Amino acid sequence: MSEPAAADRGTIDSSAATGPAAAAASSAGPPAAPGAAAHRVRRHDPVPLTATVVITVLGGLILAAMNGSYLGLTVTTGVAYAVVTVGMVLQLGYSRQLAFSQSVFMGVGAYGTGVLETKYGFSSLESLLAVIALAAVASLLMGAVVTRAPGLALALATLLLPLFVYQLATDSGWLGSFSGIDGVLPFWNGPDYESTLVRSGIISVLLLGLAAGLVLRVIRSGVGLQLMAMASDERLGESIGVSLRQRRLEVFVLGSVLAAVGGAVLVSAQGLVTPDVLSETAEITLLLMLFVAGRKSVVGAILGAIVIEYLTTSTSFISTNIGIIEGIALLVILLVEPDGVAGAVARLLGRRTDRWAESLRSWSAGRFRPGGGGNGARNAA
Amino acid sequence: MSEFLNLLAAGLTSGAIYGIFGACLAVWFRVCNVLNLAVGDFAMLGAIGTARLVQTDHLPFAAGVVVVLAAVGLIAWIFDRVVLHIAFDRGLGAHGIVGVFFYTFGLSLILEGAARAVFGTDVYSAPAIWPGPALAIGDVHVQRAGVLVIALAIASGLILWAYLRFTVSGRAASACGESVLGSRIVGIDSAMFRRRIFIMTAALAALFGVVESPLTGFTYLSGPTISLIGVVAAGFAAFRKPGRAVLAGLAIGVTEAMLGGYVSTTYNDVLLYAILFGIIILRPEVLGLGAEPA
Repeated sequence: MSEPAAADRGTIDSSAATGPAAAAASSAGPPAAPGAAAHRVRRHDPVPLTATVVITVLGGLILAAMNGSYLGLTVTTGVAYAVVTVGMVLQLGYSRQLAFSQSVFMGVGAYGTGVLETKYGFSSLESLLAVIALAAVASLLMGAVVTRAPGLALALATLLLPLFVYQLATDSGWLGSFSGIDGVLPFWNGPDYESTLVRSGIISVLLLGLAAGLVLRVIRSGVGLQLMAMASDERLGESIGVSLRQRRLEVFVLGSVLAAVGGAVLVSAQGLVTPDVLSETAEITLLLMLFVAGRKSVVGAILGAIVIEYLTTSTSFISTNIGIIEGIALLVILLVEPDGVAGAVARLLGRRTDRWAESLRSWSAGRFRPGGGGNGARNAA
Repeated sequence: MSEFLNLLAAGLTSGAIYGIFGACLAVWFRVCNVLNLAVGDFAMLGAIGTARLVQTDHLPFAAGVVVVLAAVGLIAWIFDRVVLHIAFDRGLGAHGIVGVFFYTFGLSLILEGAARAVFGTDVYSAPAIWPGPALAIGDVHVQRAGVLVIALAIASGLILWAYLRFTVSGRAASACGESVLGSRIVGIDSAMFRRRIFIMTAALAALFGVVESPLTGFTYLSGPTISLIGVVAAGFAAFRKPGRAVLAGLAIGVTEAMLGGYVSTTYNDVLLYAILFGIIILRPEVLGLGAEPA
């Protein structure tokens, strides 16, 4: 992702940044004061490194507190989905690239890990690195072709992928057909099942933290501004010098690689992989996790994945009626708050902080009014 | 030669199934630029509802079909009033490419969940409209339900094509898809066309589910796969041409049957999807799609 140096540092100063990033920043709205674009981006997104550390530490503590219970397994599975949905924030939410290939790449990660470990004796780390490389190459080759297609054609083509790959996996004896592949190693073995689950869970949240940090880093950079411009209007992006094909390909590759990492996390937590991970149902679940929680929010995507995974496995009433609940939730979200629960929360908090700021301003105006008896008055005198 | 003709008959039958759902999707997309991803679920409700009413509640077949079609029409009307009216007439909620896919996707999830709660996970087949053994023409054998499926698909495709091409109402409906504002300026009630055609295609899909179910059987999970194949067939008709969607569906069905007969019975679906994927990616202009909704 080549970019002017100032923009690439993620500290875009509109007085210093020139070229596409600056143009994207300035074209996003009416002319702004110097540094306003940088301020806008900074205000909403946490610092990537902080996000990585917070997610890893907080997630690790939560999983340690669960002490290898069934809930811990559910949360670790949710973390696996969260790695995928974090990539989808960039792909579907931020860049509006309507590709439905995430479950396929999740399957690449899961099956890749399973095959490499059970058939070729790879360790967990080796298989994870190999799967990342495999997904990067596969998505680069596929993306070079797929991302040429315009919006609806891309959606249509990638809709076929889960059908195609699911059929391939169920027909293939080498991939275990409907039974899949069993006996996949956890990321980090412990003396017993509970400690193994906790240790693997900690590695999983570390990977989630890295994924979130990476996505936030891209969003905060000049590339993120270019993606935002492309998402609002592709012709606008093109007119300010953004290479649409290159950016589309980069987003596709990054989203696909993160999906593969999510697949590897999933299979290491569960110990087996079945064709279900490749089905259109898996894709539907991922889309729901993203859209209900908030397609433009990394935090929303993480919480959405974990909460929905928890709900699907919690009480029998919820798991039986999950389709109705998800459908109603999706419709309500689309109608009331298209940016999802995270968007609603952000708006609510924004209003509240605006009210606090307003009260603070009126309080300080009354207290420090010139001639009003405060320090300001004394200074003025 | 007889093998080829038998494969052709089987391919035309499955292709007619793809084609009719493609036509339902295309005609509604033409009016309001939204894909009806619940079309397969309407078919599922038609098939399972009729089977349940006739076999369990002992209603006469015709009465069962009428009740089910009325229920499906009512569901479509409620969805339009509660969701689509707010989203597209009042201008609230998500629009653009998200609106194209996700409103009806939500409806699909609700219908699937409701069907599971009401009908359970069993496989259902509505009674055959034209019972009896398979028809034999020389060495070619065709199921009677298959003949009905092909006939209904071709008739529906022709009627929808003629409606859009030759009637004032059809041209007005098409105008709504071209420009909602423009159509309203010249006095066309775009909301009415959207609602009527949504209800009509939902009922048509349900009727088709009734006709088709003796061949395939339906569970509460049958909807999404049907919708997906319908989307592909409609995609090859630019999402706007129901007649061409039926032809595309028939071509897909015949290709699938020929691959199964002459290449591989195991990998025929894989090969079919690969071919369709290759066409979409390498020759997207074949789809005739314009720019995506903003």
